[in-house]
Amino acid sequence: MRIPYDVESFPLGKGPMVMLVLFLISCFFIFAPAEEKGESIEFWIFANTHYEEYQARVPIFEAQHPEVNVQLINYGGTMHDKLLTALLSDFGAPDVVEVEITSIGRFLKGAIDEVGFVDLRPRLKNEGWMDKLVVSRFTPWSYRGKIFGIPHDLHPVVLLYRDDLFKAAGVEMTEIETWDDFIAAGKKVSRDLDGDGEIDQYAIVLDNKTESDYFNLLLQRSGGFFDVDGNVVIDSDVAIETLEFFTSLFNEHEIATPVYGTWHGDPSNFAAMQDGKILSVLAPDWYVGILKSQVPQMAGKWKAIGMPAWEVGGRRTTTRGGTMIGITKQCKNPDLAWELLKFAYFDKAGLINRYETTRIIPPLKDAWDAPIYKEPDAYLGGQPLGDLFIELAPDLPPRYQNPYWSEAADLLNDAIFNAVTEKQTPRQALTELAEKVRSIIAKDQERWGEGVIDEFKTE
Amino acid sequence: MNSKRNRFSFWNQQQKIAPYLFIAPFYILFIVFMGYPLISSLVMSFYEMRGFQSRIFVGISNFIDLFRDPIFWKSLWNTTYFALGTLILQLPIALLLAILLNSKFVKGKNFLRLAFFAPVLVAGVFVAIIFNLIFDQRAGLINNEFILFGKEIGWLSEGKYVMPAVILTGVWQWAGFNMIYFLAGLQGIRQELYEAAAVDGANWWQSFVHITLPSLRPVIAFVVVVSMIGSFQLFDLPYILTNGGEPADAGSTIVMYLYKNGFQFMRLGYAATIGWVLFIIIAIISIVQLKLLGIFREE
Repeated sequence: MRIPYDVESFPLGKGPMVMLVLFLISCFFIFAPAEEKGESIEFWIFANTHYEEYQARVPIFEAQHPEVNVQLINYGGTMHDKLLTALLSDFGAPDVVEVEITSIGRFLKGAIDEVGFVDLRPRLKNEGWMDKLVVSRFTPWSYRGKIFGIPHDLHPVVLLYRDDLFKAAGVEMTEIETWDDFIAAGKKVSRDLDGDGEIDQYAIVLDNKTESDYFNLLLQRSGGFFDVDGNVVIDSDVAIETLEFFTSLFNEHEIATPVYGTWHGDPSNFAAMQDGKILSVLAPDWYVGILKSQVPQMAGKWKAIGMPAWEVGGRRTTTRGGTMIGITKQCKNPDLAWELLKFAYFDKAGLINRYETTRIIPPLKDAWDAPIYKEPDAYLGGQPLGDLFIELAPDLPPRYQNPYWSEAADLLNDAIFNAVTEKQTPRQALTELAEKVRSIIAKDQERWGEGVIDEFKTE
Repeated sequence: MNSKRNRFSFWNQQQKIAPYLFIAPFYILFIVFMGYPLISSLVMSFYEMRGFQSRIFVGISNFIDLFRDPIFWKSLWNTTYFALGTLILQLPIALLLAILLNSKFVKGKNFLRLAFFAPVLVAGVFVAIIFNLIFDQRAGLINNEFILFGKEIGWLSEGKYVMPAVILTGVWQWAGFNMIYFLAGLQGIRQELYEAAAVDGANWWQSFVHITLPSLRPVIAFVVVVSMIGSFQLFDLPYILTNGGEPADAGSTIVMYLYKNGFQFMRLGYAATIGWVLFIIIAIISIVQLKLLGIFREE
């Protein structure tokens, strides 16, 4: 074959010519679409434990659907930012994605039809899944009548306590029923250990810098930041009373200590637990999983009861944290993605595997019969923990989702810290907070109602 | 005949075009990855997002809101505080280390240089996690080993101690890095100057003030300007160390607030506004510093 070009006349000579040709050839390989076997589903994950679970489970799904190739990608903590960018630019989003409960709010901003997730309500309803799941767990993933994700978990909260140390102080924790009972018991165990005049053994550890534990208590009383219609209700009487109670545990009753480090999962916190400085903690199921893996040497020292209630016979639990799985609107084959969703969240063998590694109880009620949830748990001195969680699950409070949750939570953190450190009264802190968040929302609504709207989408 | 002329003109053309082709990759990358985002972020600062697919023109109201936003002012103050801490604490320490490691009487210089330089090789996130343990009020190393001022300091739990904790962490991480610049500058000073000064009877302090400092001026100017820019862009260290600025925004910085607005609150317009205000602040500070340090002076 003759090259129809005089190589010698190439301006820079033979060498650069060869480089240019190689460059063009490699460009072809880089940009040419890779040949794919059948359908491909891209699945983004932010939690390492979930990633490990799916790594083991995805081959089973691929065996059931030989034409499918699932690409699991674990982006860790930055996943939500990447997802936001992909949805904003209308390009590069995965087909299937897991989203965390405090991060979903920002994805719900703007017109409901522009939300980047597929509404799963029709599919859930047609296939009868709605009745099979704990219904309150749809609230974090629902907004304005649409359901954008299936709940991964229940995350019921229990009171995890040092049985040995409470017993040593003459307190039988299983007799505790209400918060008043707990305060009385707490005063018996909160004391000065080293004789320096300051209390260093506290009945409970609570986070005074973020909303976490205050929100545990507020949800337990069916309160919240937003109600089901999206109204700000953080300045309601129940919210103010709850914050007054929360601060009194630190200041008036002196039975609570602020969390060591930045949150309950910090190593300094675990050290304080081992030293007997912290005798109890409000623990969701996943937190027990963390304790088991981080401080296995404390096995047998813990026991759990339902949270103390606000009145006799009241709700003994709340809910903390959560994950959903959803399908993005950029997904080309939602039917196939739906099959993957059901496999990941409703397959009983998978759910048992999940409990073994993470202690997470599924929201699928049929799955609760499995014997594993009734097995005695060595970490809790033989108490069957799964049984307690399942007993509490039907009573979980709803947690209403809102596009303004991130802003609201950021300001709520400040309000709680100011109240606990007595810079503001709980009433002042929450009234001011509610005003601020209401004005943020009002400003957006005012803006969106009028003015020039620049549509990004040209299609 | 015909083809020959074509080839001739191609040859002519490429002579003119070639230089532009050679510099093109830089400009293409610059336009795509810097120019376009810069312009579109400036445009964005006059808009606000309305959900994911549309935005609304709001004029300069993002800028007005920003100047009325207490958290922005708090973040600006925290960032300035850190920058001042860097200037007053970190850079003198770096200079002192450089002078010590440049002097004749210190042994094991190479090892010490590596030891002081090493922290900068550790990713900011890990540094923050380590110092979280060190600064913990009740279980931390600092409060357990040195009871300062007669009481346990709530480094990360009391507002007023949060930025000092961040500054101290910054010193640990960056002093060794800036030391390298100073060291390079010190090694460039001609030894004869010191010898001449010694002959004239100058003591150590006089040599330092009249020879070392003036000779280091370009290096000092560079280090100060670069550290100030870096300080104003502070993000990952306090973000991890203070769990996103807690308590009560005591650890919030401008870039952290920008990140929160852009990625957590989905207020891209407001975030772009913060970015541009930050750019203007950094530009002013850098120009003032360069003037003060005499970099624009002709010699």
